[in-house]
Amino acid sequence: MKIKIVSFLALLVLLGFLFIMVIPSEQGWNIHEIGKPLRNPDVFKDPEGSKYDHVKTMDDYFLRNGQRETGSNNIVTSVVFDYRGFDTLGESTVLFLTMSSIYMLFYQLLRKKKYCVVFTPGLHKGKSRIVFYSAVFLFPLILTYGFYLILHGHLSPGGGFQGGAVAASGVALSLIGSSFSLDPTKTRKALALVEAIVLVLIVTLGLSGLSSSFLFNFLATPDSFLNSVELGFTGSDLTSGGILPLYSLGEGIQVFCGMSIILIMFFIIGRET
Amino acid sequence: MNLVSVVFMILSILIVLGAVVSLLLKDLLASSVVFSALSLVLTVVFFLLDAPDVAIAEASVGAALTTVIFVISVKVTKRREE
Repeated sequence: MKIKIVSFLALLVLLGFLFIMVIPSEQGWNIHEIGKPLRNPDVFKDPEGSKYDHVKTMDDYFLRNGQRETGSNNIVTSVVFDYRGFDTLGESTVLFLTMSSIYMLFYQLLRKKKYCVVFTPGLHKGKSRIVFYSAVFLFPLILTYGFYLILHGHLSPGGGFQGGAVAASGVALSLIGSSFSLDPTKTRKALALVEAIVLVLIVTLGLSGLSSSFLFNFLATPDSFLNSVELGFTGSDLTSGGILPLYSLGEGIQVFCGMSIILIMFFIIGRET
Repeated sequence: MNLVSVVFMILSILIVLGAVVSLLLKDLLASSVVFSALSLVLTVVFFLLDAPDVAIAEASVGAALTTVIFVISVKVTKRREE
């Protein structure tokens, strides 16, 4: 009964979201045309000649206007999280679905008592000493590097997906080395909860720019309080980029949690069989 | 022919060889290890092609996570292909 009510509410929210999409304020009561740029491309004039004076293709548009429109120094991230932000949302939804299906596949198996054993840290019989100590030493470093990649996604190569995957590989190393104590059931539940909440937060972030369009970078507009940062090669400030760092952080946490859940489940099954 | 293109050709040949070897090996554990090595070489190739984003993703997903999942699956099922 409860589940029915919750799913009905979710359906209602989705339908309401579809209705809200019809009301962008600028061009009246129409749905925004897909693929049409929101602002007029104010094209950078080339002093050499008129060869590059107008935008012909979409990548030309990205390269000329990306840094100014999104406030991010890394053009790849500005495409991934801003211009093609909806695709990235679909990607993270696919990852969430993969995690859920693996959860469902192993659910009956993991409810048995022998799979609920807490992992104890230490040098077990048949474990390599080198792997154990290198896992203890490397796990914090890999985790730090992963979150560095996530936080600096709009400034340097990297971003949400890459950083999350790197951090999850650190989790894999610590699982193999059995260097930390871990309650599989509790960790699984906590990570799943965090992942679901973060996915909802990403959608909320997209909905809050709805005055123009879904996932509009509303913090990078000229009158925003975060846009006082100087752009260019020297403008490498963590607060630049509007909603890009937030979206990247959410995506990174999501990828990290999803991959960690998959790894922990596979590891429990592989250890006990 | 400069040094970078020579290195690039060697790495490309290594990738193709690694793919063929990991397909032909009957020992699935060795096959997944070869696949992991292939991913590492592919990371270097992506970096030489000026795509550091893809290189990081390939190194973490292809070389680390996929190998772990493959090794656990081999451990649970059978080691040798029939």
